[in-house]
Amino acid sequence: MAVEVILPRVDMDMETGKVSRWHAAEGEAVAKGQLLFEIETAKAAMDIEAPASGTLRGVAAREGDELPVGAIVGWICNDGEAPPARAAAAPVGSAVAAPAGPVKVLGDSTPTSLPAARGATATPKARRLAREAGLDVASLAGSGPQGRVQALDVERARGVGAAKSGAPRAHGEWLRRGAGPPFVFLHGFGAELGVWKPLVQRLDPSRGALALDMPGHGLSPPPPDDVTLDALVAAVEAALAAEGVARFHLVGHSLGGAVAAMLAARLGERVFSLTLVAPAGLGPEIDGAFMDGFLRATSVASLRPWLRRLARDPETLGAGLAEATLKRRAERGLGPGQARIAAALMPDGVQAIDVRPALAAFGGPARVVFGAEDAIIPPRHAVGLPGAVAVHVLAGVGHNPQLEARAEMARILSDQAAAGDARVR
Amino acid sequence: MTAPIRELGFAEAIREALAIAMAEDERVFVMGEDVGVYGGAFQVTGDLVQRFGEDRVVDTPISELGGAGVAVGAALTGLKPVFELQFSDFSTLAMEQIVNQAAKLRYMLGGSVSVPLVVRMPTGSGLGGAAQHSQSLEAWFAHVPGLKVVEPTTPYDAKGLLLAAIDDPDPVIFFEHKLLYKTKGPVPEGRYVVPLDRAETRRAGRDLTIVAAGVMAQKALDAATILASEGIEAEVIDPRVLRPLDMATVARSVTRTSRLLIVYEGAKSFGIGAEIAAAIAEGEAFGHLDAPILRLGGAETPIPYSPALERAAVPQVEDIVAAARRLARGEA
Repeated sequence: MAVEVILPRVDMDMETGKVSRWHAAEGEAVAKGQLLFEIETAKAAMDIEAPASGTLRGVAAREGDELPVGAIVGWICNDGEAPPARAAAAPVGSAVAAPAGPVKVLGDSTPTSLPAARGATATPKARRLAREAGLDVASLAGSGPQGRVQALDVERARGVGAAKSGAPRAHGEWLRRGAGPPFVFLHGFGAELGVWKPLVQRLDPSRGALALDMPGHGLSPPPPDDVTLDALVAAVEAALAAEGVARFHLVGHSLGGAVAAMLAARLGERVFSLTLVAPAGLGPEIDGAFMDGFLRATSVASLRPWLRRLARDPETLGAGLAEATLKRRAERGLGPGQARIAAALMPDGVQAIDVRPALAAFGGPARVVFGAEDAIIPPRHAVGLPGAVAVHVLAGVGHNPQLEARAEMARILSDQAAAGDARVR
Repeated sequence: MTAPIRELGFAEAIREALAIAMAEDERVFVMGEDVGVYGGAFQVTGDLVQRFGEDRVVDTPISELGGAGVAVGAALTGLKPVFELQFSDFSTLAMEQIVNQAAKLRYMLGGSVSVPLVVRMPTGSGLGGAAQHSQSLEAWFAHVPGLKVVEPTTPYDAKGLLLAAIDDPDPVIFFEHKLLYKTKGPVPEGRYVVPLDRAETRRAGRDLTIVAAGVMAQKALDAATILASEGIEAEVIDPRVLRPLDMATVARSVTRTSRLLIVYEGAKSFGIGAEIAAAIAEGEAFGHLDAPILRLGGAETPIPYSPALERAAVPQVEDIVAAARRLARGEA
């Protein structure tokens, strides 16, 4: 009975091998153990011995052909015996008549190859989430043991998908790494993520804090030409996905507050708590003169008077804010992007955005914090919010409670974290 | 009106439940080997014989089968016996009466009789009792239709569950882990019952669900404290009653946490862990699993006498921490 000669697996991660040289020709007698052919893999060349004694027939690989591991390269037949019909019928009767390309061999005659895995393994939850998102789990890279796709992988893929579909991804910086769901901070118009640093100093040191630069601010890419509130939300969401932050406590200031409210309504229970600090989007009034003056200023002398409106006590904003703002604007060319945001969301000195429905839709612990002396957005916008939204109006504080009332803000965020964590349990 | 609450030991809480039931209902009586003057192998019945007399605190001969037969007969004729076995291991001798008679008579006689019997059994390892005095046989009884199987963790539950078991018209197997007898906890005075069909969430958490009863629930809580310091929040569910098992509570939790670890002292294979895991895999919670279900059970060996080996033969806090960590980190 004819014995098949196969291309063996000679190292663990080998999938194909090249027949680099035959030591025997079609029709030639070979003895078991005699060198029969040489294979080359990505790593090494190796001589293969004849598995039996007899006559080499039905050679199915030319020198130089690359074949899958387990492919039959020929047969060793007894005297007068022909190779099995399929091999004999193959176009390769001899090296002369060899086909142009590598020979394909059916998998069912490849005893040394393992059965191919039928797609990626995935947890039931990952499969369910992928189905809901219209993703194919087989296309995802699994982070679990043996490459198993887990829910986190699907969530990441969804985030990355959103980023690819056009939204620029906001720049983020971990002000602190920690355990459990982190705080995510979104700054206001004209600021950048560094505005949160003094407050984060006062927060529970075991909890992480991720601060993001809004599009057109800090180190983030500029906003799209037709910027909308949703575009800002998408940029934030893409950043969160890229950072692998699936569940978190969300804090937003001013324009960042409006973005936070929209994001919270969109992500629902993934946002454990929502804290809006002097948020935009709750009413039409805003200090339009500030917006115009801020954007138009080209020198410390013309910018500083406007910045003084940001806080009841401008000292709390820190020294050098005007210089730093102008420097960043120049280096990164932030002016046009910020002007686009102002024109689209705050045209004619009016807030053209409304996040009250989003705030009402969010079911988790939500608070709104205003300074009673806010000169940019009137604190009376906190009146008439849904009953479940707690409101703090801090005496003697202006538009930047996170800088002006750091201890109060730290306590509020600590309460929010506790309430959010407890609710999700 | 709220009853005053004191700290009470687990054994005292059981004794208090027995005393309340006996004072309220003259049909209730206690029987077993050395439950009278000696006060019980683990001093659970204590002074009950002085308070209620030898007719209601009955010392039986050293025959578990004989005692069980008397108990089943007494229950059939209208009394409410609470039968104590010195060790759950000795239930093997009483199996005929418990499994073939007590569990089945209501069904075989068309509902015309019931067997309002409670069998109390000290269970588990940890006291150097070796192979014949340390087993955890809950799964044997939980496999039998017609029986209820209870395993309390706290003194509060021990009292409330035992009163509910005595009230129950059908046979209840009441497992008491020996390591819990000396534990203390708040227990209200007077009568209250803990229902025989409801699990208790002893700690809330969102990263994984740990199901464990009796002393294993205690170990799971200790493990959860350690895990919390690493940022892993484990939810600990104490079934309290193994048959009927409150799977709805477990399923709700798993739907939220996506990860399940079951810890039990009995041999791992064919145990309560398999039942809980299978019930989750069969139900709606399956689609929420984000990791394999893990079981931590006893080693596949009789409990050894050597203290070191005895400890190694059943799950310990560090084993639970390690398994939970693997699950929560997506490494399982």
